[in-house]
Parts: sequence; C-alpha cells; structure tokens
Amino acid sequence: MAALSGGGAPWRRGWLPALQFVRRGSKAVTRHWKAMHFQRQKLMAVTEYLAPRPAIPPRCLTPRKEKVEEDNGYTRLLRRQVEEVFRDNRMIAICQYNSMPGEDVVLMRHYLRKHNIEVKFVLNEIVRPLLSQSKYKNLLPLFVARNILLVSPELKAKEMLRVLKGVPQINLLGACIDDTILSRQGVENFAKLPSLEVSQGQTVGALALLPSQTSSLLQRGPAHLTALLDEHIRRLQAGETGGPPEPTPAQRSGGH
Amino acid sequence: MWRWRLLRPLPVGGGPGGVTVPRAGLKKYVLPPDYSGITFPERTKLKFMEKVPAVPKVKREPRQLRDIRGPSREATDFIQGQYGILALGGGYLHWGHFEMIRLTIGRSMDPKTMFAIWRVPAPYKPVTRKSLGHRMGGGKGPIDHYVTAVKSGRLVVEVGGRCAFGEVQPFLTQVAQKLPFPAIPISREGLQRMREEEEEKKLNNQNPWTFERVVTANMLGMRRYLSPYDLQLKGRYWGKFYLKHRV
Repeated sequence: MAALSGGGAPWRRGWLPALQFVRRGSKAVTRHWKAMHFQRQKLMAVTEYLAPRPAIPPRCLTPRKEKVEEDNGYTRLLRRQVEEVFRDNRMIAICQYNSMPGEDVVLMRHYLRKHNIEVKFVLNEIVRPLLSQSKYKNLLPLFVARNILLVSPELKAKEMLRVLKGVPQINLLGACIDDTILSRQGVENFAKLPSLEVSQGQTVGALALLPSQTSSLLQRGPAHLTALLDEHIRRLQAGETGGPPEPTPAQRSGGH
Repeated sequence: MWRWRLLRPLPVGGGPGGVTVPRAGLKKYVLPPDYSGITFPERTKLKFMEKVPAVPKVKREPRQLRDIRGPSREATDFIQGQYGILALGGGYLHWGHFEMIRLTIGRSMDPKTMFAIWRVPAPYKPVTRKSLGHRMGGGKGPIDHYVTAVKSGRLVVEVGGRCAFGEVQPFLTQVAQKLPFPAIPISREGLQRMREEEEEKKLNNQNPWTFERVVTANMLGMRRYLSPYDLQLKGRYWGKFYLKHRV
C-alpha cells in the first residue's frame, strides 16, 4: 500500500484518501442497505425535501365549486317533453302516486284515455328546474316525492274525479286548468260547475230577459185601459138590465 | 362490464322541499370507454423465455454491478399496452421470476380481450457460483445460471387491451410483490402523474440546499465522502435502491 509504506508522516508525500476507503467495506452496489458515511448521512438529512406550508391552507381560500352535471341527451329529451306537455294541454292535474298493482294502473289509464286524459310519469329532478324558470313557479311545492300528471286538452274534471275516486292509491294534489292554479277543493268546485253550453245558455237567457220584458212594459198602459173599459162595458151591460146608462164614463173615455 | 354506474351523492338534509325519502331517480348512463386505437399483437399471452440464451456464453464475465445501479435508460415509457409493472429499484431477474410472471399473468388475464408483452430481454448475463463448501481461491467458478439486469424506472411487462386498470391491478400487484426489487403496477396516466409530481416537488421545494447543488459545487468538500457517480445520481439512488422520497 502506498500509504502504509511510509514510516511516520503520510502528510509529507501525497496519498490518495479514496484508496483508503475502497480497501475496507463492501462494493458500491450491495444486496443489503450499505451504511452511509456519517458526513453523507448529514448531507442527506440537510438536503431533504421540505413541503411548502402557506400561512392559510389553500383549501380555505378556494371557493367551494358546486358540481355542475353535464347535460345528458336523455335529460334534454325529457325536458323537451315536459315543456310540450305544459304547452299543449289545457288541464294538468298533479296527483300523488302510491304503488299500485300493474293491472290497476292499466285499467285506470284505459278509463282516463276514454275521456282523452293522458297519464304521464315525470321525474322531479327534471321538472323542478323547468318550472322554477317558467310561469308555473307556484306549482313547485307539489313536485315532491312520487307523482304523476294527468293532462288533457279538454276540461273534463268531473269524469277525472270519478275515475280517481275509484282508485284509492292516487290522490289529487292540485291542478293547473287554463293557466289557473286550483287546489283539490277548487277542482271539485270546478267539476260541480255546469258545462260550458249550459252556462252559455244561462247567460243568453239572462241577457235576453230584459228585452223580452220591454214589449210587455210598453203595453202595460193600454192593457190597463183595455181592462178598465172591459170592466165598464160589463158593468153597463149589467146596468142596462137594471137602470139607465151613465154618459159620464163615455165622455171620459172620449176625452182620452 | 366492470363498473359503469356513477355513484349519486344524496343531498344532505334534503332539498328545499324538506326531507325526502331516497328513491330511484334518473339513471345516468356513462358511455363505455373507447378502445378504438388499440392494436393487438399476434400472440396475446407472454412469450416463453429461455433459461439459457441460444448461444451460451463461454467466457465468464466480471460482475459489473453497475447494470443495477442508477436510473434506467431503456424501456421507461409505454409502447403498446396501457398498464404495466414499473420497477422502483434495481435487481436481477432469473428464469424462476420469468416463469412466475408468465404463468400468473397468463392465468389471470383473458387472452381474447387483453394482451401482454415483455419489456425485458431473456436472461443474457452469466452468473458464476462456486460449489458449496470450498475455501476462497482456485479461480472463478463456472457459470451457474443467467439473469437479466433491471434498473429502477424500467417497465418489466406491459398489459393492454379492452380492460380497465382496476381489472388488471390485482394480478399485477400480486406479480409485483414477488419480484426481487420493489415494483408497482402502473398505467400510462399514473406514470405521467408520477413524473409531474416529481417536477412539482422539485419546483416547490422550500429547502434552499439540494444534494445536486452541494455536489456540483463541492460545498464543504463533500465530494470527499461521495462517489463521482453521485453527480449523476444526485442523492436519489443508493446502491441498487431508489429513494422515492428524495427530491
């Protein structure tokens, strides 16, 4: 060894410190974790990664973003259908739907179809945002939990109520008839109203009442006079058999 | 059909209408992933690797452990597949490891929808062993077996096809834990994320003193205690080990 050959003072001749370290210990790549020189250990400790630590953590600063769900083609279709329903039909009744056996549902739909009333199943998560932006805002509290819509272009409330009375699982919550929101009581009252033709006839009759009285009003004076004259003639005829006629009523009638 | 349904979070305390009983709402169908750009190799299963190369070596080679040390230069990125096993340390793979990988993956994957390819060569490096019980000396021993050298950051196998990472992960973890070096199953996105995180760590490190800086400037004469290879390894590698937590 070049370092060990010198007698006493290794500092005077040049010596390679690297050789000293290579002689002892294992190779650079070992199966076990090779022990590091202390200086190296200190260097590794000093040069460790320090994570950034701001005074206010970033999760306190970023405003919470509401997750906006992207538009599904299917949801768009359903929304379009609901809009069409609200646009095309005059009567829209909202009922609570409790689970019914399948055949009862079919029967109910059949009876309602006879009166041209359609049954539509709607999803609240589609209807609610639509209604909140349209003029039907006040129908929003009804669209909670499971419900169906009974829609019709005609106004056959009485038939609808009759069918629904036979189905205990469907409860009428409210209706929107001709852009008028009615409660359950309102719908019942509406059903009790006479039909349009009858009420039209009633109106016409009420209006025609006064003109029909005009002719009788105008004729009341002469009719009264005629009646008085008739009475007088009768009395005269009755008086002829009894006494002489009185000229004064004839003069009075001539004066008129 | 691995996992198509999205999990719907329920509104806490109910919506503005009050507390509602949770019930089925609109089902949101998520589109299945697009596997259009995937080309399958001819053989979907892993090829059989020979124990000994076709031309066995006559001359015995020195040990050259530097083929384990440091980061890998080859096979660091994905070629054909989408998922793979990434080596996080250096080591030698011998024929037993190859067989284990081949059989486990062959058993767990579906050859019609998935494929797997090797990213390491067959064993080529001869390893000598002296017979048991003899003293030191008497020359170098004869060749005992052949191994493949693997450095950290290298992909061992790649798996791809019409499959999701969750389907592939269980058996890849099983294989990765049996390898002689630390390894993890990883996907293309995972690898990219890992590299991005490394870059981020390098940028937002609050410590003004880094190993690289100290070594390149030879501060405090530290190169006396460090190897000349530490200029390239920069304190992230120590022997065959990869120090993941270091920047």
